[in-house]
Amino acid sequence: MSHLLRKASRLGIFVRLSLAATLLSASVSVFAAENNTIPRTADGKADFNGLWQTIGNHHWGIEPHNARIGPDSQWAAIGATPAGTGIVEGGQIPYTPEARAQQQDNQTHWLTRDPVVKCYMPGVPRANYMPFPFQIVQSSEHIIMAYEFASANRIVYMDRPDFEAPIPSWMGHSLGHWEGDTLVIDVTEQMPDSWLDRSGNHHSEQLKVTERYTYLSQDVIQYEVTLDDPNVYTRPWKMTLPLYRRLDQQAQLLEFKCVEFSEELLYGHVVKGAQAQEE
Amino acid sequence: MNHQHPARTTLHFLVAASMLALAPSLFAQNDPHYTAARTINGQPDLQGVWANNSTTPLQRPEFFQDRATLTEDEYQRLLARASEIESGGGDALFGDGFLNAVITGEVQSYDPSTGNYDQSWMASRNIERRTSLIVDPPNGRLPEMRPEARERMTQQAQARREGPSDSYTSRPLQERCITYGMPYMLAGYNSYYQVVQSATHVAIIQEMIHDVRLIPLDNSPHADENIRLWHGDSRGYFEGESLYIETRNFSDASEFMGAHDNRIFKEKFTRTSDDILRYEFTMEDDETWVSPWTAVINYTHSADPIYEYACHEGNYALEGILSGARAEERMATEQSQ
Repeated sequence: MSHLLRKASRLGIFVRLSLAATLLSASVSVFAAENNTIPRTADGKADFNGLWQTIGNHHWGIEPHNARIGPDSQWAAIGATPAGTGIVEGGQIPYTPEARAQQQDNQTHWLTRDPVVKCYMPGVPRANYMPFPFQIVQSSEHIIMAYEFASANRIVYMDRPDFEAPIPSWMGHSLGHWEGDTLVIDVTEQMPDSWLDRSGNHHSEQLKVTERYTYLSQDVIQYEVTLDDPNVYTRPWKMTLPLYRRLDQQAQLLEFKCVEFSEELLYGHVVKGAQAQEE
Repeated sequence: MNHQHPARTTLHFLVAASMLALAPSLFAQNDPHYTAARTINGQPDLQGVWANNSTTPLQRPEFFQDRATLTEDEYQRLLARASEIESGGGDALFGDGFLNAVITGEVQSYDPSTGNYDQSWMASRNIERRTSLIVDPPNGRLPEMRPEARERMTQQAQARREGPSDSYTSRPLQERCITYGMPYMLAGYNSYYQVVQSATHVAIIQEMIHDVRLIPLDNSPHADENIRLWHGDSRGYFEGESLYIETRNFSDASEFMGAHDNRIFKEKFTRTSDDILRYEFTMEDDETWVSPWTAVINYTHSADPIYEYACHEGNYALEGILSGARAEERMATEQSQ
């Protein structure tokens, strides 16, 4: 077999494998929908009501990364960053050179800069892959996403494409619509301060997020999210990850009102006696 | 600003209604025969954005004695007097302050230390004929508080007076952006809620500090008694025209008028017209009051959306308060040397 033929053959195998993977992926959701195995609301829509959570280390870093030592040696093994294969399509976020440098600097100063350390609301999509569950309450007109972390939440307005954001917000302005059994949500007007993970990945106020929620099976949602921000990225880019239904019998959304856990960090220096202690 | 309204009048001496009468409340009255539309799941549809802008105070002012409602004449005079207060440019009158100001002519400032809350902060109030939110006991007043509960409250008040700015923990939960409590009772101050219903849950979004209550409707047991929550652990069900909720497992740090964390809080939501959601709650707390008590608030429909109330993310004031207190201490030390 000549070199060219071998190359063509390999290409053919690659194409066939890619095609097979695509078909397999598509067939999972088609299978679920056609066999009516996905939950449906009384008006026939895909029913995403439930308690959901991701598995994995994506909240530590959405790009592929090695394990690394944590910022506080006292926390030793349980404070270190675990490795992760990443969820960014193609591996790396297509930052502009300046934005990549900013991410590297953010990562170096992670603990002092990450808004989530201060218990600020995480924004979208980060809220969806924090190591905390979130509850979806779905009606025909509104979908509430209530997150355990910081009591963050958002209201998704369904079929109101002309409803403009009243103000920029930490959790953004969410407008949803249905494409078949897929819930599509456009999220805009987010505060530029939120991050995407604990590795300093970031965005600007120009961020446009497009989320797609599709059932893979009755307890798994395929979550695809595209981020577009011409201030920071050279092109739109995508992440894909599954959201799993919490099936443990006692599972329910609890409170993680982390404000009280962040106050010493934020205000400890102005507490009575703090200066004397320093001296 | 801690001023008094110039007209120190009582309701008896108010100007004639014919001169300054406002249109009565634009909201429909409770209709006992009203039947709410049904959701796709067959539940009474309580959904929408609702406001607590009622002028009725929690407890009936002694002026009214055993009368649960205003006379028509009093109501008309109240509307007129309210118009004067609203247009007067004085301090904002949140919560119970409105009717009290009308009756006594005295304005109790919401914010006497800085006076930065004026009428521009106020939502339009829903002026009702009722003289108290409390409907039981029938006198419209809170039942007697048990001595041990009074002692508990005295100690808490004493702790607040001693070093009110020593630490962030010395400041009120609202100022720390932790919670405005459940239920949030203050009327006319960003007092908005959105109800969303699914087949299995009701979500009640409370705009203040972006809180969401989630009420499972699946007859599941309450969370383990060791799980204590700022807003308690709720379970609910629909029956007839109403949503019923029972909440327990409150955290001992959660505050509601001196109630104990072992309280059982029962709620009933009923839509009584297109634009009124009747909210009834009963406090069962044997460790604090000698008997249960029940109140009713008429939430009114709002066409506006809920906004994100990002409190902690911009809480520069808390650091400023503590920093100011430290500066005062330094000045006092320097002056004494």
